[in-house]
Amino acid sequence: MSVAVTELRQVPALLRGEAESAAVWTETCDAPRVAMWLAVTIGGSAAFGAAMGWWRAPEQALYTAVKFPLVILLTALGNAVLNAMLAPLLGVNIGLRQSLLAVLMSFTIAAAILGAASPLLAFVVWNTPPLAERASAGGAHAFLLLTIVVIIAFAGVAANLRLLQMLRRLGGGAGAARRVLFAWLAGNLFLGSQLSWMLRPFIGSPGLSVQFLRDDPLKGSFYEAVFHAIRRLFLD
Amino acid sequence: MSDMNNTPPLPPQPSNSEPASTPTPPPAAPGAVPPLFGAPGTDPADRVPITNMFGASEALLRHPRRIWFQLTQSGQLHLTLALLGIALGCALVYGFVVGTFSGQDQLWAAPVKIAAGLLISGLICLPSLYIFSCLGGANTRLLEVCGLVAGLLALLAVLLIGFAPVAWIFSQSTESVAAMGALHLAFAAIATGFGLKFLALGFRELNARFSGGLRVWAAVFVLVLLQMTTALRPLIGTSDSFLPSEKKFFLAHWFDTLDKDSRTGNPR
Repeated sequence: MSVAVTELRQVPALLRGEAESAAVWTETCDAPRVAMWLAVTIGGSAAFGAAMGWWRAPEQALYTAVKFPLVILLTALGNAVLNAMLAPLLGVNIGLRQSLLAVLMSFTIAAAILGAASPLLAFVVWNTPPLAERASAGGAHAFLLLTIVVIIAFAGVAANLRLLQMLRRLGGGAGAARRVLFAWLAGNLFLGSQLSWMLRPFIGSPGLSVQFLRDDPLKGSFYEAVFHAIRRLFLD
Repeated sequence: MSDMNNTPPLPPQPSNSEPASTPTPPPAAPGAVPPLFGAPGTDPADRVPITNMFGASEALLRHPRRIWFQLTQSGQLHLTLALLGIALGCALVYGFVVGTFSGQDQLWAAPVKIAAGLLISGLICLPSLYIFSCLGGANTRLLEVCGLVAGLLALLAVLLIGFAPVAWIFSQSTESVAAMGALHLAFAAIATGFGLKFLALGFRELNARFSGGLRVWAAVFVLVLLQMTTALRPLIGTSDSFLPSEKKFFLAHWFDTLDKDSRTGNPR
């Protein structure tokens, strides 16, 4: 219990951007500390996912609470090897463990912010007409979608700023840290988008039933969908 | 170094509100650091313990540095609970005054809604304030942030009590829901302004400066408070049900009320 409390106290240090401490924490894989980061990542993103899914239906809230942390963790794991290879190539000489822990730390920061914002999002959802009444409350729905986007963007930006500080601390200089950060971001966005596509729906559509996964989760890709949407918009 | 008992004792200062028999400063909370020069606690008057809700109310209004200092000491939870008690009690009383406009069920419904709305707003916004303070580099603990939010709510509610006689006079003389709503909003805006100032100064005194994040949080808190008045409506007029079935944005609700008021006179 006391170990858990001690580890939990390190999360504010992560949020404050104490790069010195954070850099030291990537040196060794301390099991209780990593477990606490995972707990914060899962708890924070699950709370935010639940608030997001609640807009559609209580059942969807449960599903999204399970799927949202999955996207984050699978993205971190899926790109772990690639990130570890890119870092030394781009000038920050760190290994697999350090790169994975650094990415996990940044996800912990993002998830802590998302978790803290989840009561606010739940309050907004509570005050928004149900998703099924979309036609009668376009402004409210637009506001809710905008709120979700702004919160996620803020969490992402804050987490990446802290990650950048940490990468600078790990060596290689500011330029190398920036290059590594952009490479990691590109990889994570690429994989994360596809994982989100496969694990859809997160909010759900009023015209479709509430499901954990769509009937054809592996059919198509996020990028194909974007391509078809653009083609419909401009060519049809 | 973390124990205030290790610091040289300061002479007790008699206070108008506190008995002279309780001058000993409370021991510091584990992990607390001795006060910096000019920080709360360097003035002996800041160290006079706050023993009850009346003392806390007076400290809120006249000597907030005592609150900020006590929040860094052990026993801060008692002070936080006392502040929440003040907020709850004062909100219930002000809510009763709000309820006198319509009478009947509103005499109990308005106090319950206003007190609950105030506390829930604080609870909803607390995690984001803590995260904002950490992101801004502030080295404050969660319990201190809880105490500051409790102080904000308490000061807000205490100030509303100050406005209550004026609100009651108006509620007995006007029939307009929109006019009463505007009046209560004006009082709440003034009280919230003072409450937020208490919070901002509290963070500064605790050596935790994050003005940009705090401004964003203050805007979010005000929006939550405003939306709460719509989510828990009616606070002023009457209704068949305790809570509304229709979801509305607060601006839409205000415009609807203004429309209705101008068309029908909107009787109580």
